[in-house]
Amino acid sequence: MQHLANVTELKARLEAPAIEVEGLSHVYAGPDGGVKALLDIRLAVGKGRFVVIVGPSGCGKTSLLMMLAGLLQPSQGTISCLGRPMPKPDPQRVGVIFQEASLFPWLTTLDNIEFPLSLRGMPREERRRRSAAMLGLVGLEGFGERYPHELSGGMKQRVSIARGLVQDPPLLLMDEPFAALDEQTRMTMGHELLRIWSTTEKTVVFITHSLTEAVYLADEVLVMSARPGRIIDHIQVTLPRPRSYEMMATEVFGQLRERIWQQIRRAP
Amino acid sequence: MTRAQIIATRLALLALVLGAWELLPRLGAINALLLPPLSQVLTTLVELLGRASVQEAVTVTALEVIVAFVIAVPLGALAGILIAENDYLSEIFKPMLFYVFSIPKSIFLPMFILVFGIGFQQKVAYAAFTTGFVVLMSATAAVESVKPDHILVARSYGATQAQILWRVYVPSMLPFLLETMRISMIFNFTGVMIAEMYASRTGIGHLIANWGENFQMPQLFAGVIVLSAVAIIFNEAVRALEARCSTWRT
Repeated sequence: MQHLANVTELKARLEAPAIEVEGLSHVYAGPDGGVKALLDIRLAVGKGRFVVIVGPSGCGKTSLLMMLAGLLQPSQGTISCLGRPMPKPDPQRVGVIFQEASLFPWLTTLDNIEFPLSLRGMPREERRRRSAAMLGLVGLEGFGERYPHELSGGMKQRVSIARGLVQDPPLLLMDEPFAALDEQTRMTMGHELLRIWSTTEKTVVFITHSLTEAVYLADEVLVMSARPGRIIDHIQVTLPRPRSYEMMATEVFGQLRERIWQQIRRAP
Repeated sequence: MTRAQIIATRLALLALVLGAWELLPRLGAINALLLPPLSQVLTTLVELLGRASVQEAVTVTALEVIVAFVIAVPLGALAGILIAENDYLSEIFKPMLFYVFSIPKSIFLPMFILVFGIGFQQKVAYAAFTTGFVVLMSATAAVESVKPDHILVARSYGATQAQILWRVYVPSMLPFLLETMRISMIFNFTGVMIAEMYASRTGIGHLIANWGENFQMPQLFAGVIVLSAVAIIFNEAVRALEARCSTWRT
């Protein structure tokens, strides 16, 4: 399956890709030689693309994301985001949104959103301006002074997204952000995310378990095998944008889903 | 039950208890020498509060409580945090601490008397020792209660170690620690009282012990009332502080 990936990679390379990963392997230390989490990962993500990574549980996709975020260093291989390596987190370059909203319960919504800015020592007025703008972008005007425990799951994730966007990083990493939500909220949030994304030129790497979510959101889907994770397929989703719910009922959609599922099932 | 009914019931219960305290000794149902009627206790109380010696005793006790608390809480918290954070220290100290924690601290009192003699320092030291332990154990638990997710988020946004400490650990631990403070205050008070009643020349506990030994029951009860009032005041003060800082807790 690697030859399928090469063509796209080459193309991405010609246009100075947003993300380049080369020969990446990772082993977690432990007894019996440790756990091989990732094996020889090689990929390129073009600028402005929405790339989704799908794979079975434990395939290493979260580890891969952690490395792209600079939160973890790989045992082997190189990572380059926007042309530079990631030795440590760089929130102005790469924004990360996690599965559990992980909002700080002792801060209000606005304070949570501007948290990254306050770490940098930005003055209060400027912070407020930006966080208020983000609040509007994710559709939560009026909820600025609420505390997380007063918000629903979907709303908390919106705040989490707002927080990830507040420093306007060109690259956004999202680790199953909608996993903890019910199906209906998930669909709405996915649609919302696409709307927000379409107003920016950000590059997004999105991890999910859901095949439907993958096809619905993505420009490209990278399919990973079970542990140790390798990329076993690279699918272009040519459905037109903006995406609509009706597309989910089309044959093309079904075929793409089926293809992903076959790949995951077949991989040893 | 409506609010009015609840308050009415409480008042009724209070009246019942106070009424019994007044009437049963007067009617001879309980020996008035052992349990003086409420009115007698209250009169004694008013008289005692007027005395300089009693006022001094209350002040001394209050001072001991405050000083012991101010020493114990920061030291205990710091030690608890260090032990929780440092794996090496954790390995060594945690099991030992658990064992020592189960020993009733009052048996150490004679040792404190040997080292400090009898007086302000001895009582403060002993109370601080008792309270410090409680604070330490709770601080350790508080550190371990900080969610790793929150730390990860802070890291992903480029927070330095200091920022993670002040912006994530401290706010996370604050409600836990405040709750601990309330309980520690109770332990603290008990510690001071035990020290005063066992071997002391000043303080309310000493007076109470004295009155008890000399069978001055009205004074004894009056003293208990004063003591209870002081304890409640301290407790409520910490509780108010806790409530103010925990507005975000569900």
